[in-house]
Parts: sequence; C-alpha cells; structure tokens
Amino acid sequence: LCRALLPALALALLGLAAAAGPRQTPVLELAEELAEELWSAGLPGDLPELEPECRSLLAAFAEGSAALTDCLGRRARPVRLCQGCHGHYRRLLAQYGSIARAVGNSSESHNCAKSILTSDRLQIVVTLSEFFNETWEAANCANCLKNNSEGLSNSTEEFLDLFNKSLTCFEHNLQGQAIDLSPNNYTEVCKNCNETYTKLNDLYNHLQRMNRQGGESAHSAHLCIDVEDAMNITRKLWSRTFNCSLPCSDTVPVIAVSSFILFLPIVFYLSSFLHSKQKKRILILPKRIQSNANLVNIQEKYS
Amino acid sequence: QLTPSSFLRIGQLSNVDLNEDIHELETEVPRQRPNEIPHNEKLLSLKYESLDYDNSENQLFLEEERRINHAAFRTVEIKRWVICAMIGILTGLVACFIDIVVENLAGLKYRVVKDNIDKFTAKGGLSFSLLLWATLNASVVMVGSLIVAFIEPVAAGSGIPQIKCYLNGVKIPHVVRLKTLVIKVCGVILSVVGGLAVGKEGPMIHSGSVIAAGISQGRSTSLKRDFKIFEYFRRDTEKRDFVSAGAAAGVSAAFGAPVGGVLFSLEEGASFWNQFLTWRIFFASMISTFTLNSVLSVYHGNAWDLSSPGLINFGRFDSEKMGYTIQEIPIFIFMGVVGGILGALFNALNYWLTMFRIRYIHRPCLQVVEAMLVAAVTATVGFVMIYCSRDCQPIQGSSVAYPLQLFCADGEYNSMATAFFNTPEKSVVNLFHDPPGSYNPMTLGMFTLMYFFLACWTYGLTVSAGVFIPSLLIGAAWGRLFGISLSYLTKGSIWADPGKYALMGAAAQLGGIVRMTLSLTVIMMEATGNVTYGFPIMLVLMTAKIVGDYFVEGLYDMHIQLQSVPFLHWEAPVTSHSLTAREVMSTPVTCLRRIERVGTVVDILSDTSSNHNGFPVVESNPDTTQVAGLRGLILRSQLIVLLKHKVFVERANLSVVQRRLKLKDFRDAYPRFPPIQSIHVSQDERECMIDLSEFMNPSPYTVPQEASLPRVFKLFRALGLRHLVVVDNRNEVVGMVTRKDLARYRLGKEGLEELSLAQT
Repeated sequence: LCRALLPALALALLGLAAAAGPRQTPVLELAEELAEELWSAGLPGDLPELEPECRSLLAAFAEGSAALTDCLGRRARPVRLCQGCHGHYRRLLAQYGSIARAVGNSSESHNCAKSILTSDRLQIVVTLSEFFNETWEAANCANCLKNNSEGLSNSTEEFLDLFNKSLTCFEHNLQGQAIDLSPNNYTEVCKNCNETYTKLNDLYNHLQRMNRQGGESAHSAHLCIDVEDAMNITRKLWSRTFNCSLPCSDTVPVIAVSSFILFLPIVFYLSSFLHSKQKKRILILPKRIQSNANLVNIQEKYS
Repeated sequence: QLTPSSFLRIGQLSNVDLNEDIHELETEVPRQRPNEIPHNEKLLSLKYESLDYDNSENQLFLEEERRINHAAFRTVEIKRWVICAMIGILTGLVACFIDIVVENLAGLKYRVVKDNIDKFTAKGGLSFSLLLWATLNASVVMVGSLIVAFIEPVAAGSGIPQIKCYLNGVKIPHVVRLKTLVIKVCGVILSVVGGLAVGKEGPMIHSGSVIAAGISQGRSTSLKRDFKIFEYFRRDTEKRDFVSAGAAAGVSAAFGAPVGGVLFSLEEGASFWNQFLTWRIFFASMISTFTLNSVLSVYHGNAWDLSSPGLINFGRFDSEKMGYTIQEIPIFIFMGVVGGILGALFNALNYWLTMFRIRYIHRPCLQVVEAMLVAAVTATVGFVMIYCSRDCQPIQGSSVAYPLQLFCADGEYNSMATAFFNTPEKSVVNLFHDPPGSYNPMTLGMFTLMYFFLACWTYGLTVSAGVFIPSLLIGAAWGRLFGISLSYLTKGSIWADPGKYALMGAAAQLGGIVRMTLSLTVIMMEATGNVTYGFPIMLVLMTAKIVGDYFVEGLYDMHIQLQSVPFLHWEAPVTSHSLTAREVMSTPVTCLRRIERVGTVVDILSDTSSNHNGFPVVESNPDTTQVAGLRGLILRSQLIVLLKHKVFVERANLSVVQRRLKLKDFRDAYPRFPPIQSIHVSQDERECMIDLSEFMNPSPYTVPQEASLPRVFKLFRALGLRHLVVVDNRNEVVGMVTRKDLARYRLGKEGLEELSLAQT
C-alpha cells in the first residue's frame, strides 16, 4: 500500500511546492529528490521509504535550521545572536522535539524518530541540532532571556537601552568635534558621556555579580554574549580609542611606602645579628674508648 | 684517656655508671671545661631519644600472648582495619576543613583588597591599598606565628622532616599530640590566608600522622579522656604502623594521590615494612581521598560528581595538544637539569638562612616579628610587581578569580595579578592551564625570580606551612617561560602548549628541592590524572635529583641535620667498614643486678648527669670470682612503673593479696611515663629488693666487640633497635650501642666525619 501511494503523494507535494512560488532553490532540490525517489520506487526490492508526515517534519526542520543559520551568520558581528535569533532557535527546538516524539502510523518499527534520527551513520539531523544547542549554550543566551525564553529579560532590555544611549552620546559628541579638533583629543566625549558610561559599567558589574551569586558552576558565570560583547565594544572605545580612563598613578608614595617596608627586614636582621646573643651549644664528651687507649688495649690483648 | 686498667675493670664491675645517652665521663677525665660552640650542622642533640620499636618480650608479654586465642587475634586484626578507616575519614575531614576555611577567608581578604585597589585606582592614593594589603597579611600571619611560637613550636614548618624522624625511630617531643594538630591546622590556615609563599599540602601529612597516632591509642592525654578502646595498640611498634598510615592518608588527601601516599610512607617514612601493612595503608589512603572528594563535592554543590579528589587538583591533562612526542624527551631532561640546579640553589640559600635563624633568631618574639616582616614584604613585592606590570589581558573568556584592573584598559586585567594576587594553589593551576598567550615572558621571568627568593625566605619561619606548592609554583612559572621561548625559537609549530612545560618545570623544581623520587613521580602522575606523563616525569625527577645531589642534599634532610637529630639513613656510611663495635660503643655501662636494691635503682634513675633509658641486667652473683653475664635488658619506663607500683620482693612476701602486675599497667602509663622525681620511695623501702627477672627483656640483641659498624647499623636499622649490648666472649657487658653512637658517623665532603654531641 505504502509503495503504491508514494508516487502519487510525491507528485502532489511537487505541485504544492511549485505553487509556493518565490523560493526557488528548495523547490528545485525537492523536485530533484522526489524525481529520484520516484525512479527508485519503481525498482524491485527497494528499501522502505519515509512516510509522508515524517517527510514534512524533516522539511520543516531543514527550513528552520536554514533560517537559524542565516540569522546567526548575519548577526555574528556585532554580536546580536540572542536578541535576534531566539525565535528561530525556539522554533527549531520545537521542530526537533516533534521529530523525536513523532510516531508513524504504519508500524512500531517505522516511526519518524527512528527513521530520521538513527537509521544511518551520519545522523545529520542529530548533528545539526547538537551544533545549534552547543552554540546556544556557549553564547549563554538563556542568561538574557526570560525564563520561558520568550523575549529578552528586563535587565537585558535595560542594559541594551543604556548601551544604545551611550553609543548615541558618543556619536553625538564626536560629530561636533570632528571638524575643529585633532582626532586624538576626545576630552569632550569623556566629559559629556561619562555619566552614561559609568551607569552602563555599573549596571554591567551589577548584572555580573547577580549572575555569579545565582549560578554556582563555572559556565554560568558568564553573561550572555550580546551583553558581554556590547560592553566590550563600549569599553574598548572608551579606554582605547577615546583614552578616557586615565587612572591617577601615584608612583612616589607607592615607592616610598614599599621601600620603607622593604627596608624593615634589613633593620631587623642587622639588629638581631648585632644585639641578640648567639645561641651556644654545650659540647658533651662521649663516654667511649679513646682511640689511642683503644690501640693500647688491642695491643695488650694480643700481646 | 681511659687507662688500660680502667678498661679491664669494666667487665668485672657489675654496677658501673652506664649509658644510653652519653654524658660526662667520671672524674678521671681531666679536661672537664664546658665546651661552648656556636650551633653548626655537625652536632647531635641530646634532646632526642629513640622510640622502642623492639618489643620487650618479657614474661608478662609472653603470658598475655599465650592467653589470647585465635579468635581474639582476629578481632585485633579487624580493629586495625577499623582504625585505618577512621584515620582515612578523619584526615579527609580535616583536609576539607582546611580547604573550606582557607577558601573563604582568602576570598574575603582578596575581595577587600581588590575593592580597595579599585577604589583608589580611580581617585589616587594607591599607597593606602599597599598599606592595607601589607597590614592585613602581617596581622593574620602574626596570629599564626604567635600560636606556633608560643604554644607548640614543633608545629612549625611542613612537618615532613618531623614525621620522617618519627618513622625513623626518633622521638621528637610533642610531635604527635592533639595540641600539635590543633595548632598545625590553625597555623596552616592563617599562613595561607596571610598570603605567605606557602602551601597547605605538606602539613596535611603531619596532621594525618597526629590523627593516626591519636585514634590508634583510643585516648587523648591532652584532653585527659580515655575511651578504653584499642588498648592493645598502646606501644611504639603498633603506633608507628598507624602513623605511617596517617602520613599516607595525609598525602592522599593533599594531592588526591592514594598510591602516591602509600609510596611516600614507604620512601620517606618506613624503615620497617610488611605487605599486610601496605594493604592497610592503601586502604586508609583511599578512604581519605574519597572522604575529601565526597565532602568537597557536596560543599561545591554537585554532590554526585566527585570531582575534587585532593586539596590541589592539577586539572585535566588529557587534551590532544597536551600529549608529548619522543623528540621532546631530551628537552624534558634538560628541564630536569635546570630544576636540579635551581633546587640546589634554593637549598643552599635556605641552609644559610636557617643557620642564621638558629643562631640569632631563637627567641619566640623575634620569630613572630620575622614572620610578620616576611608577610608584609611578600605583599609589598606582589604589589610592586603588579603596579609595574603593563601586561594586560582581556577578561572575556578567562577564569580569573579576582581580576585586578589597575592601569589596564577597562575590560582587561593585570596578568601579573593572577600570579601574585591569588592563593598559590590557584596560581599553579592557572599556570598549567591558561591558554597560550595569557602571560608574557617578562611577567613570568619577574615572577619566577621574586617568588624564588620569597619562598626560600619563607621556608623555615615559625609558621606551619609547606614547601610543595611554592616549589611547584616556581617550577611552573619558569617551565611555562621555557615553553613559550621554545615555541618562539621554533617559530611556533609543534610545541605549542606551554602548560605541558609548566608541569615538567614544576616537577623538576620540586624534585630539585625535596629530592623525593618514586613517591613524587606517582604523586605527580596521579595529580595530573595522566599515566602517560609517568615516563617524562620520572626522567625529570631523576635528573633533578642526580644534578641536585651533586651540589647539596635535599631540603628535608638538610633541616633534619640542622636540627641535630640522630637520624639513621638506609645504609651505614660506605667507608665505615674499618670501624668496629668496640670503637662505636659507649662504655662503661651502668648495669643492674637481677635482684637489685631499690635504693640503687632510684639513685641510678635520678642521677641527672646520666638519663639513660636502657639498663642491661646482669646475674646478681654475690661472689666476684664468677663472671656477671648478661641476663636481659630493662627500660627506664619499666623501672618507673615497677617503682610506682612498689613491686618489691619483701612486699610480695608480706601481703599475699597484692595484685600481680600486668602488662596493662605498663600500657596505661604509655606514652608519658612519670619522671622519677614524682615517685616517692621511703627510706625503708630503699632497703627492699626488686626482682627484675619477670619484667626485663630476657633476650636482648647483642653483638661481639669485633662486629663492624655496617653490621651493627644493619641490625639497628632493620630491627628498629634502641639499645644494642656489646658483650665479650664470656657474655659480660662491655658497652652499649645506641642510635646516637651510630648516627654520629656521616659521610662528609672529606670522607667519614664524626659529629659531636651537644646539649641543646
């Protein structure tokens, strides 16, 4: 029954796909695939094929992963992964879940999960899904999403707001400057944006501290990559490009204090060498036959 | 200057002044001036006595052994296992306690200092941060040093030399007391928190030994509690076995290396060994590391993970790039040579420093001041190094516990601070595992140099602290530097990972300083969790030892020698065959007769000029024509118990009801026998007689006068003797050989040299 139905279904699907219109490439691929299958279906003794519902699940997964890859790639620099792609990721998770849970109607042994996930050596669907999961974990995106992972958490929103504000502040002040000042002098930026920058910095530190208190293990010590990267860019701009954070270096008092402390042991050792009484040991003469007496004894004994 | 006649007299007199610990000769010696010299390494102190590792097989003992049936022996055996399990568990728990407290206190300190530095970096006034750091360190170390200097000085240092001596058979006063344990544990915590260049691993070995000695006795004399259990084990022989188990458990808890622990006991400690004991010790070690592991896992919140087997974990060395190739082995051997030379330099410097300390800084308050100064200087050096360093690394992706920004750009941390602004254990692990490029060569070079001198200066202070971790740290720093320069020279390609070289450097440096071989190889192997490293580590340690021994001996042996401990090495000095027992022995010997007058016994025991501990018992034959042959040997402790219970011949005749003395009475008094002064003997009782034949050891070991020194030495070392009687061919006592008579011969730079005895 199954084998007889296949060509018809494939044709129907082909029509459906062709009707979908603008997306050219997947349709072509699908058509090619189907044609091949149609050809193989006619051959005697061929292998059992995928059931239609499994096929549609697989197609959905393929499209979902394509979309997620596209999103990740586009948002790689500056990093906006978690903000932009969490919808795609969630959908992909759901699709994978439905594949894993789906059971075909024909028989126990031909369910979708088995035929898609574990019937060959490569197991490409599993590999793909693992890759996405690992990437998501490494980016630590869960950290800046809400608990049900729908949308960004409040603190992240707040942080990104502040981040955008400080970026606009930088831009704003630089525009005014670029004309009349040399590019090395950014005092204007430093003065005007100091408040926003400090706020941003404090918020970041606060988030980090909260995060560290919440999670014990080493991995969750990181914030999500978007926030980390945003902060990184800002800090680099601030202290490298604008050269705004100039710490007061007070070398003279440090040298004075340290040389004082380093001088103390010398005084200590000298004074204890000069004033402390050297410990003397009292020698004790052992009670034993003295060597010269010894000789005499031996001589006496043998004489 | 004994005349021949005085020599001939010895055999015939039954009651001459006799010896174990040797004191002045009698009046016939003309030069009696007290000879005072400054302390040097060629002395043997009278303070140290031997332990009685040889069982006194007297009648009481034989009777008791006969009474115990087969089943009872089995319970004794089971008790031994139970004790070993308890030793393991308690050692593990103590290690956990130290680890957790150190982690929290040090964390607190570093957070306070870091906040302070962050605050003053912005506003200026970093000198206050420096002062704060130095003061914090100095005050914490002051407390640690005060308790050691004033309450229990034997808790100073790593404790490994002391345990080594104890297992060798030297009784170091107070070394296995509960008080020592408490001081040791607190002292270690305080000195690590105080930021000294020290580790908490070495003292674990001492702690384990004290725990073992305490548990196996079933009582604590310090607390005056007797649990009335394990009474069978109340003697030196049994205690020694448990102490070796405790030392092994300590190593195992410190490094997560149970096999290394067993081998440590075997290599460093055990002069006496058997297979059953090995298996029991291994059991204790395993229990110890497992306890530590499970408790720490629960503490860190992942209860079933079991991921922290030791106080220090070197982390995992199993990634692809951590492997080594055949071509690298000559490089490792070269690192071993460097480690040996640097280790010898370390030891030589420490030798001079220790000598100076013994001679001039012997008052406790001076010692405390010195420790405080070292702590303050350590903080200052760290601060100055961090202040001057311009090596900044991005915070992102690194696992720095306390990133210190200082003059770095925002989002970066000072790389020097990961090395100095951290507990030494963490720094070691960072050096092993931080990705290539985390440190620049300048930072590593300066760090190695500074830390080398700091560690050398710190070891020997009156604080309890170990030398393992600082050595590893120095080695890891120069090893990493070596790895970086190697990959720089070869333009990167194959030997990319400096962590591997850091490990080999650490092994080389540690081997060069402590000169342990087998056990250290296994400890390092177990701590890295990678068996394939066994071969290069072994080569590195071998080279380091050979090179180092060429210059100066190992740190522990050096300190044992500086303490004037009569320590017996594996073998007699090689050129000592020409010496015979007759030249080695002390003579004349104070003997007791088999039935002796109480007054004589009391007089001999209370003679302050000769606090001998073993007395040959000779036949009490009244007529002088017959020779007084050797009948047995009795110990001071036994005599004191006899006097205390007034076991006199006359009293036994008078009162039939008097209880017969049992072995239990001797055990109850062990190990702190009362001094003779505390025993009151009335004038009447002085006239009584005391019969020693039941209590003396009737079969003491003897040698003829012609026995060579190596032969005597072998007997001593193998049997763990305390007294060896020298007899002539008529079985008359001629002399007595004790530990100090043997230990004084040593192979020096110009052949065989003889150490002098001194009162310390």
